[in-house]
Amino acid sequence: MAAIAFSGITKRFPGALALSNVSFDIRSGTCHAVCGENGAGKSTLGKILSGLQKPDAGEIRLDGEVVSFEDPRDALASGVAMVHQELAFCENLTVGENLCLGQLPRRFGFVQRDVVNARARELLSAIGASIDPARPMDTLTVAEQQLVQIACAVRAAAKVLVFDEPTSSLGADDAERLFALIDELKSRGVTIIYVSHRMKEIHRLCDDITVLRDGRHVATRAASELDEPALIQLMIGRKLEQYLPASMAEECGEERLRVEHLSRDGAFEDVSFTLHAGEVLGLAGLIGAGRSEIAQSIFGLERAGRGTVWVRGERAEIRSARDAVQLRIGYVPEDRKKQGLVLSMRTDENSTLPTLQQFARLGWIDKRREGAVVRRLFERLRVRARPDAVTAELSGGNQQKIVMAKWLAAECDILILDEPTRGVDVGAKAELHAWIDELAIHGCAVLLISSELPELINLSTRILVLRNGRVVGEVARAAATQEGLLRMMTGTDETLPAA
Amino acid sequence: MTSALPGTSQIRRAAALLLKSQQIGIVAVLLVLGLALTFAAGSHIDALSGVRVNNFLNAYTLVQIGTDASSFAIMGVGATIVIIAGGIDLSVGAIYALSGVGMAMVLRAVGPMGPVATVAVALATCLSIALLCGLANGFMVIGLGVHPFIITLGTMWVLRGLAFVVSHAESVLVPDALTNVAKARLGLSADLFPVPLLVMLIVTAIGQVYLSRTVSGRHVFAIGGNPEASRYSGLRVDRVKLGVYAISGLSAGIAAFLGASFYGSATSSDANGYELYVIAAAVVGGASLIGGKGSAISATLGAILIVMIRQAIRTLHLDQNYEWIIIGSAMILAVVLDQGGTRLLARRMAAGSSPPEPTTVAPEADS
Repeated sequence: MAAIAFSGITKRFPGALALSNVSFDIRSGTCHAVCGENGAGKSTLGKILSGLQKPDAGEIRLDGEVVSFEDPRDALASGVAMVHQELAFCENLTVGENLCLGQLPRRFGFVQRDVVNARARELLSAIGASIDPARPMDTLTVAEQQLVQIACAVRAAAKVLVFDEPTSSLGADDAERLFALIDELKSRGVTIIYVSHRMKEIHRLCDDITVLRDGRHVATRAASELDEPALIQLMIGRKLEQYLPASMAEECGEERLRVEHLSRDGAFEDVSFTLHAGEVLGLAGLIGAGRSEIAQSIFGLERAGRGTVWVRGERAEIRSARDAVQLRIGYVPEDRKKQGLVLSMRTDENSTLPTLQQFARLGWIDKRREGAVVRRLFERLRVRARPDAVTAELSGGNQQKIVMAKWLAAECDILILDEPTRGVDVGAKAELHAWIDELAIHGCAVLLISSELPELINLSTRILVLRNGRVVGEVARAAATQEGLLRMMTGTDETLPAA
Repeated sequence: MTSALPGTSQIRRAAALLLKSQQIGIVAVLLVLGLALTFAAGSHIDALSGVRVNNFLNAYTLVQIGTDASSFAIMGVGATIVIIAGGIDLSVGAIYALSGVGMAMVLRAVGPMGPVATVAVALATCLSIALLCGLANGFMVIGLGVHPFIITLGTMWVLRGLAFVVSHAESVLVPDALTNVAKARLGLSADLFPVPLLVMLIVTAIGQVYLSRTVSGRHVFAIGGNPEASRYSGLRVDRVKLGVYAISGLSAGIAAFLGASFYGSATSSDANGYELYVIAAAVVGGASLIGGKGSAISATLGAILIVMIRQAIRTLHLDQNYEWIIIGSAMILAVVLDQGGTRLLARRMAAGSSPPEPTTVAPEADS
């Protein structure tokens, strides 16, 4: 009997179809993997099951009965709980208070601290964890916080537990302990849904595997039927989308950026590479592999502990983003709303933010020159917004173009692009791709970070693969396949030579 | 933009510009209040000229409002700049007191000088003290990593305490040369003193130009709107922060020079509680305490509104004991109305104008 049956689940976000008519069953008391590439819709499915998001169409049956969750409390009441990728707690409260939040035992309005702690200790010991309930949440390690969250989920007498990439921030030992706990929960009859794209974990834990791709259900098979190559094949499935023939035909120019033995504790180790004019160097890796961290260190936002950076053949000490800008390095950050744009400002003001000094004399802005440059950039990038529009009102694609415009205005010839097409609709994406190509053709050196493998393979001259903060290989574009890259990223194929 | 009737499109554009300007709400409130006061105030026969004079709408009362508003407005412009940058400065009243007292004591110590030298020394002393206080605030805010509310709350007491200690709590007289400047008639009739009003207008204009036309003014908006993105754009966030507290301190120095000169003396209890009026002026003028939004003109209009409400109590012979209650309620009302109006306007504009954008708004896709 199926513990959970999804039928026809569809979820639409503005500009993107996250899930499209997904139907499959999960057997009671099993550990069921839901896997797929970044953006395949696996997290969204977990969120729908646990009541965080509502599907636009389709229904979920729990033990044969149709359920519809308004919010996570509803889901908890039905015994469905989720352990999130990003852990959310009231960090200022204690472990016990967090565990009992929402139903704090009180007498005459006062919280009964001893009862809170006793109840919390009980909950924690139920999953074999020994954490002092009186400790403040923010003193816990990530692994401990995760245990608290699991305890929280189990408290609701969970029948179904959803784990969303639970090992993404855990070390090997902690991960192994987590696996043991999952086995234990399974043996108690809890149905586990394990959202991940890590091959080894999936085969270690799961009985069945469901593969999603671009929001569609691809297959549900017994884990024993799918070996790793077959699974990767299912995850990727599609043919590479064809883009314009890119800059790869061009000979690479002179060296623009060289990184030697760059290391930052806890982020990346001994990273070296060279970036030439007219070249797009791709950085591949899973979330947490250290790609953005490397970019931030090169750009002077976070100091690297060791290693050197050479810009146009000269040793560079980049201590701040300002230093980087002066060396004509541009950085299009991963999170454009938080890091890329001042949303309350106008689009023209955002475009000229790093370069305002250029349009000024004695600190006085020459608005005509500024306006002329902005108009030219908007035309070149085909920004569909007026220069005086408030940036917050723009679509994702246009916002991303504004972030690009900032660095084009600065005439940067070294550009670091971190997930440049994330959350951007298809049309704008194609435009951005064409732009990256064109930049390279005009001699710009581009460091491209992307979680979308087709994008990476099509745009990059070479691809550097990172895993757990280390470079594990370099692949020329001609030799790059999604299967090969994914193997290197996940570490399922150790036979590839390290670069 | 092509239109068959260029005349109407121009009018419409002008109307749109006025509607779009941030000040429209507060200007409307000021006009309505002024009109209401003019009608409600009644009139009296001027004893000298025998002409009937409105009790509110007369030169004396209006200049008096300007004089009263000037110190709030001058410091309000500074406060607005701090608030736009995402900070807050509670110490302006104390900076006012310390720089006023410091100036008066330096002048007393130096002894009699020519009028020009006196004014020069006074200005230099007063503004330097104020600037130093502002810089101290700024350095502590960026250096200690403590919220500016706490830092400036602390310096508010420290600086007023300093003023108290150095002046031994006595009122220090300032030379007549200063009073002659602050009370210069500039060709107006005997009992009108337009200098504070003029300084207020000049400071407002400078503040407005600074915010809208200069590089560092633009940077103030950027770091207030999103400090992270500003850092990613290579801005020197700390330097901008330091600058805004220096400006705020300086604005308190200008107000102190004017105040002490106008009233002829300085004491350590001058401008007590002004910081709240000043912040109120900025906020009534539409500055957002989250940062990233505000204008110098609006802050001055906000200061004038607050003073006008106070004036209304006097003009209408309301019970003075209710002054605080009325001012407090009016301030909340003004901000609520302003926010409501802005929201309504934004919705109207969003519905009315069709931006040249066919694509849908795509928020960050969850992954």
